[in-house]
Amino acid sequence: MPTKNVVDERISKFKNKGKDPAKLREKRITECVELRKAHKNENFLKRRNITLSSLPDEEALSPDYISNEKVSRLSIEDIIKEVNSGCRQSQTRGCQAARKLLSQERNPPLKEIIDAGLLSRFVSFLSMDDEPTLQFEAAWALTNIASGTSWHTQQVVEHGAVPVFISLLASPLLHISEQAVWALGNIAGDGPAYRDVLIECNIIPALLARISPDTPVGYLRNLTWTLSNLCRNKNPFPPLSAVMQMLPSLIQLLHHSDKDILSDACWAISYLSDGDNDRIDIVVKTGIVPRLVELMSHEELRVMTPALRSIGNIVSGSDQQTQAAIDAGVLNVLPRLMRHQKASVQKEAAWALSNIAAGPCRQIQQLITCGLLPPLVEQLRNGDFKTQREAVWAVTNFTSGGTVEQVVQLVQCGALEAIINLLQVKDPKVILVILDAINNMFMAADKLGETEKLSLLVEELGGVDRIEMLQNHDNEMVYQAAHNLIEKYFSDGEIEGIKVDTTEDAFVFQSSDVQRTFEF
Amino acid sequence: MELNDANLQTLTEFLRKTLDPDPTVRRPAEKFLESVEGNQNYPLLLLTLLEKSQDNVIRVCAAVTFKNYIKRNWRIVEDEPNKISDTDRSAIKANIVNLMLSSPEQIQKQLSDAISIIGREDFPQKWPDLLTEMVTRFRSGDFHIINGVLRTAHSLFKRYRHEFKSNELWTEIKLVLDTFALPLTELFKATIELCQTHASDVNALKVLFSSLTLISKLFYSLNFQDLPEFFEDNMETWMTNFHGLLTLDNKLLQTDDEEEAGLLELLKSQICDNAALYAQKYDEEFQPYLPRFVTAIWNLLVSTGQEVKYDLLVSNAIQFLASVCERPHYKHLFEDQNTLTSICEKVIVPNMEFRSADEEAFEDNSEEYIRRDLEGSDIDTRRRAACDLVRGLCKFFEGPVTAIFSGYVNSMLVEYAKNPAENWKHKDAAIYLVTSLASKAQTQKHGITQANELVNLNEFFVNHILTDLTSPNINEFPVLKADAIKYVMIFRSQLPKEQLLQAVPLLINHLQAESIVEHTYTAHALERLFTMRGPNNATLITPAEMAPFTEQLLTNLFKSLALPGSAENEYIMKAIMRSFSLLQEAIVPYVPTLIGQLTHKLLLVSKNPSKPHFNHYLFESLCLSVRITCKTNPTTVSSFEEALFPVFTEILQNDVQEFLPYVFQVMSLLLEIHSNSIPSSYMALFPHLLQPVLWERTGNIPPLVRLLQAYLEKGGATIAGSAADKIPGLLGVFQKLIASKANDHQGFYLLNSIIEHMPPESITQYRKQIFILLFQRLQSSKTTKFIKSFLVFVNLYCVKYGAIALQEIFDSIQPKMFGMVLEKIIIPEVQKVSGAVEKKICAVGITKILTECPAMMDTEYTKLWTPLLQALIGLFELPEDDSIPDDEHFIDIEDTPGYQTAFSQLAFAGKKEHDPIGDAVGNPKILLAQSLHKLSTACPGRVPSMLSTSLNAEALQFLQGYLQAATVQLV
Repeated sequence: MPTKNVVDERISKFKNKGKDPAKLREKRITECVELRKAHKNENFLKRRNITLSSLPDEEALSPDYISNEKVSRLSIEDIIKEVNSGCRQSQTRGCQAARKLLSQERNPPLKEIIDAGLLSRFVSFLSMDDEPTLQFEAAWALTNIASGTSWHTQQVVEHGAVPVFISLLASPLLHISEQAVWALGNIAGDGPAYRDVLIECNIIPALLARISPDTPVGYLRNLTWTLSNLCRNKNPFPPLSAVMQMLPSLIQLLHHSDKDILSDACWAISYLSDGDNDRIDIVVKTGIVPRLVELMSHEELRVMTPALRSIGNIVSGSDQQTQAAIDAGVLNVLPRLMRHQKASVQKEAAWALSNIAAGPCRQIQQLITCGLLPPLVEQLRNGDFKTQREAVWAVTNFTSGGTVEQVVQLVQCGALEAIINLLQVKDPKVILVILDAINNMFMAADKLGETEKLSLLVEELGGVDRIEMLQNHDNEMVYQAAHNLIEKYFSDGEIEGIKVDTTEDAFVFQSSDVQRTFEF
Repeated sequence: MELNDANLQTLTEFLRKTLDPDPTVRRPAEKFLESVEGNQNYPLLLLTLLEKSQDNVIRVCAAVTFKNYIKRNWRIVEDEPNKISDTDRSAIKANIVNLMLSSPEQIQKQLSDAISIIGREDFPQKWPDLLTEMVTRFRSGDFHIINGVLRTAHSLFKRYRHEFKSNELWTEIKLVLDTFALPLTELFKATIELCQTHASDVNALKVLFSSLTLISKLFYSLNFQDLPEFFEDNMETWMTNFHGLLTLDNKLLQTDDEEEAGLLELLKSQICDNAALYAQKYDEEFQPYLPRFVTAIWNLLVSTGQEVKYDLLVSNAIQFLASVCERPHYKHLFEDQNTLTSICEKVIVPNMEFRSADEEAFEDNSEEYIRRDLEGSDIDTRRRAACDLVRGLCKFFEGPVTAIFSGYVNSMLVEYAKNPAENWKHKDAAIYLVTSLASKAQTQKHGITQANELVNLNEFFVNHILTDLTSPNINEFPVLKADAIKYVMIFRSQLPKEQLLQAVPLLINHLQAESIVEHTYTAHALERLFTMRGPNNATLITPAEMAPFTEQLLTNLFKSLALPGSAENEYIMKAIMRSFSLLQEAIVPYVPTLIGQLTHKLLLVSKNPSKPHFNHYLFESLCLSVRITCKTNPTTVSSFEEALFPVFTEILQNDVQEFLPYVFQVMSLLLEIHSNSIPSSYMALFPHLLQPVLWERTGNIPPLVRLLQAYLEKGGATIAGSAADKIPGLLGVFQKLIASKANDHQGFYLLNSIIEHMPPESITQYRKQIFILLFQRLQSSKTTKFIKSFLVFVNLYCVKYGAIALQEIFDSIQPKMFGMVLEKIIIPEVQKVSGAVEKKICAVGITKILTECPAMMDTEYTKLWTPLLQALIGLFELPEDDSIPDDEHFIDIEDTPGYQTAFSQLAFAGKKEHDPIGDAVGNPKILLAQSLHKLSTACPGRVPSMLSTSLNAEALQFLQGYLQAATVQLV
């Protein structure tokens, strides 16, 4: 089929397509231009306004601290004056006022504070171990600035805040350490460049040193989030050495009972596994796959989602990596997730399924045995469009790698009917992928000598009308694929000719004069 | 070329000449323009003319010429020179938008097209300010300008609807959204407000509504690939306004035209498309709006009239409901009994009604009517959309929907019964409703294959269909008759055989109906009934069961061809063919009369062949007459020749191209019936069959090859005797065919017949040449098909002339050639040969090479002996290709291989498979065993030693089996 060229773009991301068993599972397509609104739950992970769990009580209860509204607000000019004064008390007051101003939800005056040149002052306050209140207020103000746009984050980093924050991690005062965790998490979340700056400044040992059986849960939550941001982002990935440093702790955190910790630890694993097979291998080798599969059944959506994402990434790897997930029981969990009430979960599950279906026929067999075909067909019929799209890929992969018997079983489960119905979707790529699946089904039917039967079935299901209509499609590839199917299975091909010397009445029977040596 | 008045003047003159009706004036002018279009400033001269020329004709002509120039030259093809200078390109881009917007509509359209061609190449990178320039015009307040911009934008953006997602495409869309989405939204809102302020100004409204339609189209394009953030954030604005527009009506915009859709319909239709897009792809986000749209669209349907101009809107709207009602989470919108009833009553039933436009088509344009109604080219009709909605609703509500419609069907039938003459359309609607309700799956071959179990098809047949078929006046209520006949036809697989048998004589009566649709449907129904399969794969209706009606059937079929409008009715001719094929010997008594009618018809249509299907079935019917009659009495062949040859001669003389392949096939069929001699009438034609002009038409090749094969089989000796000078021409045909990958197998068919049937001495002088040609082809273009045919031929040659002759001729062409062919072709490829006869020829040929060729035993070829034997055993033991072709009675021409290639193969002119070896060798395995035995006794000890040293164990075991079966032993 000439659909190959286009379908190739994604097909080449599946493993086992055609005769090349090594490559082709689909990786999450990244770095794409997006038209949609950025995905909500991913966005809030990047930067976050956390709540400090470890504020000392007296601080939390002090009138200064609780009520932003009640405290008389200082103007920016006053703040500048106070912060730049030599008096510790004024500095503290100025810092606190600045922090409060920056904490307001609507349009905090980040730029004004930066333009006023206060950052270098704040950074210098960070080192004042003997002035914990000032230290804390400065850290908080900087954190707020770092949680702005990339440009804001950049200002904080360029004022040299990173090494000081990292050393603050070791602060004996838990709330100060936690503030540093928070600030660093925001910086790490900015992108791969600052993430690697932090790693080079040895943030990881400093962070991991804070994990102990006594670490309060709240603190651990924020720490896990910061760790997850250190795992995040590609182009480039975090250095291998850093990953190896973090993994044992992440594995440990994945056995914690707290939902937020579990969620962020899972997200971390999902970032680490969202790469080529070598990256996936590092995750699989930790032996964490069974736990991830277990977490796919977690009642909390925010735990289940990243667990599913991680497993989805792993089954996009090699056959062996996929097998690890299958051995851990992923196929027993997927049917339920395919039928989850949230469309985003269905879609993610269908994506994972499409990758398992791209495997060798023994894995396809396991997929059948575990009852994945009924939910797959249900999604093809009734799913949300994004889920249907993944489900269609699953069918095409299944039909290109499955045995004839497996393909027959798929057709009998109603997949053919469902994909024929989908030929009316308004998405040329999906249509092309469906036509490819139908072609694959015909190739299987051909082996059984049942092409005619399949042709009739396709016609009965209204497929011939639809495919014929697609011959009017504006997309050249869709037109070609539809045309080829019609030509091949619903009518017949053509003949071409070459010329030979002729006279008026007859052809001239002669061989060319050049006598060559024959060599076959 | 300079931009000056002189050049403008010259150009004007030549442009004027290109409009001249006289080609001697026009062509040179066109040539001249083409010759100067490569010059710098040429496009700018055109732009100047289209803007400033005093003559309106020249302005339009310059615009068209400019657009075509852009179309041909703008794209920069890699490795080809840039055909437009960069300064011209910049100048064009700088001016064209302005020019387009300030031009009158005729010119505006051309320039708008040109902009989209340029945009396709240059936008956005090389034309960054295009969008902003366009958007600025939105603020002009002049809707003629705004519509120009919108139209151009539409032609730039509509490709987003069909192109694949790619980073490049999405980057462009993103850029477009960034500059365009907000102004478009503002324009949308402003336009709607203006519609309110100008609600009574019809001219203003027309312009505004065309803007709204264009804006809605742009919305569709921009939202097609994915839901853009901007439109998600502004969904409220867009959807509220779309919804408002759907419910809006303005008397001023209603048109009197019944056919052409008005602005209001076009806009609403596009909004239905937009809603359907969102419902399908962005369900999650669109959910809050969907119920409102369902209600609005449903109300729209209830209040829209039956006129043709609403067809597109109505079918779009119904399709929207059909796609929504299938989705489980919208089930609740429909499940209320009142809702269902009202959809059935007010949406489905009215759109299934037989309209006056249908009635006109039924009477005056029956071909079109049949195509729509019978062949399913009704994709965007109201009836089809209504059927789809019935099916959609049945997914969740089969019971209630069936119940509602049953009530409806009954009441319509009651209405009909009250006053059939007045109310016959009620019954038509009732039948249509039953049909669409009952049919769940359908194919051309079998009709309805799955039916709604809640509908009692038999009862309906007995009570309402049979009554129409038995009514004595076959010309009364032709539409209802056609409905009844169609009912039998499409439900044939669902109705019990007794009812079908009951219908057959009634149908035969209706062949006489005056209405074209009615008797065409009848012929079609009969034809379909005759192709139904009963037990044992035979026909469901047997010739014995047809006996009482045979004469009437044949008479009426031929009579119906005389009815006005049906002289070349393909359905009737197909029914004739199928009747012959079903009835077999029963037609023999009638053939003398029928053959006269058929040849008469043939003579008529050959004057001007215009209905390919009709003609095809006509020839099929001729073949059947010949075959059925000659099967019992071969000597009657001469009477067929007497009847047919005069017509055939005329066809050949007039070179009626469409008919030649058929004539050759019928002649082959006739010639093959002759016992071993060739009548002189055929020999006279022989030289003409070798004319190159015949062989240049691909459709002639297979039937001509077959005809020549028949000549060779019946008259090989005659040709060698009296037409020996034609042998080079015959071989020339072989050479011509062998040069084509598509036709080489046909060349081999011919060659095999020459080897088999020509006296050996007549071709001695050509043999070496034949092989050289084959080797040349093998060397230059070795395909599997060629190799398979080549292997069969080589082995046939060996069987016919002996293994030594084969080896000698090979080695005379080039030393050691024989060994090379064995090693490189025969041994590795022989497994690919398929077909029982072909395999047999190869087996016997190879056996001869193994056992009757001394060179295989005593030269360096000896090392190939065991591998060759091994290959032969492999050939024996490969699984046979045992697929049996379908019984020809059931074949449709659409299924026949080659029909579309203009070959027009006649199913009933079929050729028996020919086995050149025949009974001479019963079992090739035994032959091998016996031949090996003979060889081993001639040189004792050698055969067993060759076997034991290099034949593999499995092959050896098979071989021992053959030896045992032949009860021989090797020594």
